This record gives sequence, C-alpha cells and structure tokens, in this order.
Amino acid sequence: MLQQVLVYVLLGVALLFLLRKYFFKGKKKNNCDSDCDCH
Amino acid sequence: MKSEKKMNIALVGNPNTGKTSLFNQLTGLTQKVGNYPGITVDKKQGTCKLNATETAIITDLPGTYSINPTSMDESIVLETLLDNDHKNYPDVVVVVAEVENIKRNLFLFTQVKDLKIPTLLVINMADQMDRKGISIDLEELKAILNTEIVLVSARKREGIEDLKQALLRYETFDTTPLQSISDKIDKRYFEKIKSRLKGFSTYKSWLLITQKNPVGFISQASRTIIESFKEEEQRVKKYQHKETIYRYQYINEILKKTYFIDKDKAKDLRSNLDRILTHKIFGYVIFTAILLVMFQSVFNWASVPMDFIDLSFSNLSEWAKNALPEGVLSNLITEGIIPGIGGIVIFIPQIAILFLFVSILEETGYMSRVVFLMDKIMRRYGMSGKSVIPLISGTACAIPAIMATRNIVGWKDRLITILVTPFTTCSARLPVYAIIIALIIPDSRVLGLFSLQGLVLMALYILGFASALIAAFFLNKFLKVDRKTFFIVEMPNYKLPSLKNIAFDVFEKTKAFVFGAGKIILALSIVLWFLASNGGNDFKNASQIVAEKTVSQNLTEEELESELASFKLENSYIGRMGKIIEPVIQPLGYDWKIGIALISSFAAREVFVGTLSTIYSVGSDDEGTIKQRMAAEINPQTKERRFNFPAGMSLLVFYAFAMQCMGTLAIVKKETKSWKWPMLQLVGMGILAYVTAFVTFVILK
Repeated sequence: MLQQVLVYVLLGVALLFLLRKYFFKGKKKNNCDSDCDCH
Repeated sequence: MKSEKKMNIALVGNPNTGKTSLFNQLTGLTQKVGNYPGITVDKKQGTCKLNATETAIITDLPGTYSINPTSMDESIVLETLLDNDHKNYPDVVVVVAEVENIKRNLFLFTQVKDLKIPTLLVINMADQMDRKGISIDLEELKAILNTEIVLVSARKREGIEDLKQALLRYETFDTTPLQSISDKIDKRYFEKIKSRLKGFSTYKSWLLITQKNPVGFISQASRTIIESFKEEEQRVKKYQHKETIYRYQYINEILKKTYFIDKDKAKDLRSNLDRILTHKIFGYVIFTAILLVMFQSVFNWASVPMDFIDLSFSNLSEWAKNALPEGVLSNLITEGIIPGIGGIVIFIPQIAILFLFVSILEETGYMSRVVFLMDKIMRRYGMSGKSVIPLISGTACAIPAIMATRNIVGWKDRLITILVTPFTTCSARLPVYAIIIALIIPDSRVLGLFSLQGLVLMALYILGFASALIAAFFLNKFLKVDRKTFFIVEMPNYKLPSLKNIAFDVFEKTKAFVFGAGKIILALSIVLWFLASNGGNDFKNASQIVAEKTVSQNLTEEELESELASFKLENSYIGRMGKIIEPVIQPLGYDWKIGIALISSFAAREVFVGTLSTIYSVGSDDEGTIKQRMAAEINPQTKERRFNFPAGMSLLVFYAFAMQCMGTLAIVKKETKSWKWPMLQLVGMGILAYVTAFVTFVILK
C-alpha cells in the first residue's frame, strides 16, 4: 500500500515537472540568454 | 613642464601587448615578462631619464581590455585614471597597443582619450609588421585620432628614444575627446548625469556609474547620486552595450582607412598556416580529415566505457530487483527509472569525446578558420556569411545557435538561418544515431583502417549540414532575399590548447547534457512505466485471457510468461496509445513501441533510447543491456529483428530531418515573434522526414 502511494506521488511530481517545463512555463527571475533550455 | 615635480607617466594596455617589456626598456628594471596575459597584476613603478634634465616616474598598470573593470587588478587602472588627487595621477598616459590586434587595443585607447588626459599611443611589436604583411598609414592615423603615435619594438629596443622625445612634448598634446558617445546613446540621460554630477566630466561620471564596486576617492554626496543612477541597472547595462558597439563602429571606420594587411606578403608561421588551412582545396581536405578522425574516435574510444556503463546499469537493475522488497515502487525503480537513466548515461563517453574535439579545435584557433572556409560555401547557397556561426554552433544545440542569429543584419537572411539551423546535427541526435548505428552497421573496418560505424556517423553529420544548405537554397529562391550582409571574421592567433580550459569545457558541456536531459528522462521514465504497467480490463484480466488463448499450444512456463508480458504491454495504456499511431508509422518499418519513443523524444531527441529501454524492460522479464534488448526485439510478422538494416536506416533518416525538439520550436517562435515559422519547420521537416524515411525503408526492404 505504501509503495503504491509513493508511486502515485512520484507520478504526480513527474507530470507536474513535465507540464511546467513544456506547457506552463514560470517566469524566469533573470534573463539568461545563454541557457540552452532544450532539455 | 613641472620643474619641482617629476613627470608621472602611466602605462596602460590590453594584456599581452608587451607593456611590461616596454616598462623594462624605459626604466631599466627587469620585471618578469611573459607571453601570456596577466603578468602585471598590480601596478609597478620605476624611473626613466627622458633626457639630461628630465626624469619621469613610470607606473606600469595591470593589463585591461577596457576601463570598465571586471576584476580587482583592473580596478587599479580605473582608480588611477579617475582620481585627479591621486599621487600617481598621470600627467600623460601611454596606451600600449600590439600591432596585430590593434582593433581591440584601440577600444581602450578611445576610452582613455575621452577622459581628457594627455594620451600617447604606442604601437608595439612593430618589427613584426613586414612578416605579417601589415602596413599602417601613420600620418592619417595620427590625424584622425588627434594623437601622437610612436611605433616601437620593446623586444628589440627599437623606437624607445622616439617615445622618450614624444613624451617630453606631452604638454602640447590635444586632450579633446574623440567623439561624443553620450549624444549617440541618449542625450537627455547624459545631460541629466552632467547636471547632477557637476564636479566631473560626463564620461568620467558615466564610468563611475558603470563600476560594480564604489570607488574610494569620491565624496559621500557624489556617491549617493551615483548610486541613484545605478539603480536603473538594465538601462546602465544597455547603454554600456551601446557604447561598446559605437566605439567599435568608430574604430572599424578608422582602420578601414589606415590599417592594411596583405596576406600574400605575410611570411610568419601564422600566415603560412592560414594559407594552408584556408586553402580552397587543402583547407577542405584537412577539415574532412579532422572530421574523419573525430567521428572515428567517437566510436573507437567510447566502445569500452559504453559497454561498461551498459553492463553496470543492467547489473544494477538486477541487483535492485533482488534487494528491494516486492511491490510496485520496486518495479518502478528496476523497470522504469534505472533503465531510463541508463539510456542517457551510456552516451557520456561519446558526448565527452565529441566535446573534447570541438573544444580543442576552438582553443587552438582552428575553428575560426573553419568558419572562414564555410563562409565561401554559404555564399554559393545564397546565405549570409554570418550564418556560419549559428550553423556551426548548431552541432552542439540548435537553441543557442538560433539565438546567435541576432547579429545577422538582414531580416530575411536571419530568417533563413533560423529555419535551416535545426537541420545541423545537434548533440541530442548523437545518442539516437549511435545506438542505431551500433545495431545495424557491422563493427568492421574500411581499407583496414576506418571504422565503418564512424564513417556512417560522419555521413549523417554531413547529411545534416548539406540539408541545411539545400533548404537555404530553396528558401532563398522562395523568400527572395534582396539583401546581403558581409561577414568579417577576426582570426585569433594559433595557440597550444590549455588542458585546464579543455577539461573544464568538456566537463561543463557533458554535465549540462546529462543533467539537462536526465531530469526529463527521469520524469518520462516514471510516466512511461506507469502507462506501461497499468491498463483497462484486458490488462487486468491478462492472465485469464492468455491462459485461455494458449491452452491448446502446450507452452513452457517461460514461453507462457513471455506471452503474458507481451499481452499485458500491448493492452496497457501506452500499448493502446501506441496501437492508435501504429498505422501511420508502420510504412516506415516501425512498430508501436518505436512510435511511442518517437513521440516522447519530441521533448528531447535523446529521450528516444531511454523510452525504448523502459518499454522493453517492462515488456520482458529477461535481463540485459539496452543494446541487447533492442537487438533481441523481434518483428512478430516477419520474425526478423525489429532493428534490421531497412528499419534502422529509415530511423536514422527520420531523425536527420525531423524537427523533434519542443525547445527549438519555442525559441523560433520567440525569435520570429510568430507561430507561422515554427509551424512551417514542424510540418515541413516532418513531411520531409516521413517521406525520406518511407523511401529509404521501401528501397532497402
């Protein structure tokens, strides 16, 4: 049961990370022109 | 001339201009002289007898590229030149320039001259002019710069007496600033500075505002005013940038009229090397040979560490399976995360070797010669010479390369470069190419010397570059570019690469590659594993359905388990999704699993291998390395290997042309301020990739 809960937590974090990265980008604090940001 | 007080002379110059040698010649001291920057890190003083009666105190200030200091020793230069009450405040400043890099040296000279201090320009290493084919119209240069100029060779002690004589006349030097930078940048802003900081000249006030650290010699009241201007940080940065551009524009105009290089007359080693390395035939032959060595090494040197990493991850997965308690989290770790991460870590050796070569080529100064060579090709395909830098830097990553197009003046030239840059083979394509080549191209030698795998990899890089040129050619016709820009590349001196710089560069770039992609792969591995390990009713009742289906086949326990794993994967969420897209990709020789990898690699191309690794790991109980798993995958219809020659070649061609990168699309949108162009790239490159992959598969099948 605990393993299942942890899997769902990890899944949520992973989805959140991917959504933020590709669909809901937060504003960057500094304007970093050299940042590749392709990964 | 001051009789009771000795004349103060300050020596200022860029690092490595021979300033310390000149100081030694003038003072008779023996400071250490080096041929690398940064010898003078603190100011040094000595006396010099200018004639029978006149003695001067010479201060050798640390080398600096400008009087906008970035380090402590450079701040010494600024404080000495700005503090009129300083005991070493110079009566005259001698700016030491080096004959070969005069453009960069004149930047500092124009700044000093604008401070209204009597200034003399020394052009050092003048003895090298003949060998390097350099000639200077000295009278014209003196007239334009409104300055005394002396040619010297500190090393050969030539021109030192002329310099001493010129210094004796310092009180007659014209101190009018060269140009009014402030009017060009923002007249009102600089008038505001002038009205508030009354005790200083406008340029001096501006320099004080641009300093990071407050200087010690100004009053508290002035400091408060300066701090208030500093608060507009973005404006200060922007105006500093403008100042640099205006100064270089001004210097370029001067040098066009006064400074000439005749390459045919040059006899020095650098010129001889340049003649060979940029030769219209030998230049390309040498460049091809270097590429050959580079790509051969990527395969030859990396194979042992790659096999080791692959095996280590396979063992780690197996060990974790035995060590962890049974459960879904353990499955996630052993079937999702470890194989997924292994899918990127395995490529560290190849990526590092590639970056090592690129770094060495950059450090030695050879890369600038490549840019020069490529410029000639670019023009034939209707591209601007300035497109070379983005296309070459696109071999690392298309995103900074597209940003680098900002210095292309013509909009259409710039747009074409933005549109074709993603064709050049970026480092994210390397893992895909490497694994597919290893699967479908035999590890054999051509002519007993060259690795066939290395040759195929090199061919793919050339294909990427050629595609960019061909696409530019057609876009040029279609977009009717009516303006050309001319490209001036400043060739740096050749030098032995610094091991420290190279090691740092390779480490930083490899780290960025692994950690950047690693985060996405980790997140995607978790999502993919979840989608592959869960499903609808058929998935949940898989054991019963498979048992019913295979009851008459008399399968062994092992065969039954394999059948069950395969059925579950096909009926998992990801299996269902993959089956939907399978009809579209089947003509290219791919199955639904490759289809899922194609879609997930849209986030970043290098995710492709990690995705397949995770999917195959969930779909099979067999342990093995990523390569073994991919090699063992069988096409159920043909009973042949899934990654056979036709399908593998089709995949290579697909990845060579497809716009599989969300980050690049986002930056193209940002740079073109429209979705039209990234969509054109996505659809255009997508269709090209699909059609060419299809044709490749059909021909080779």
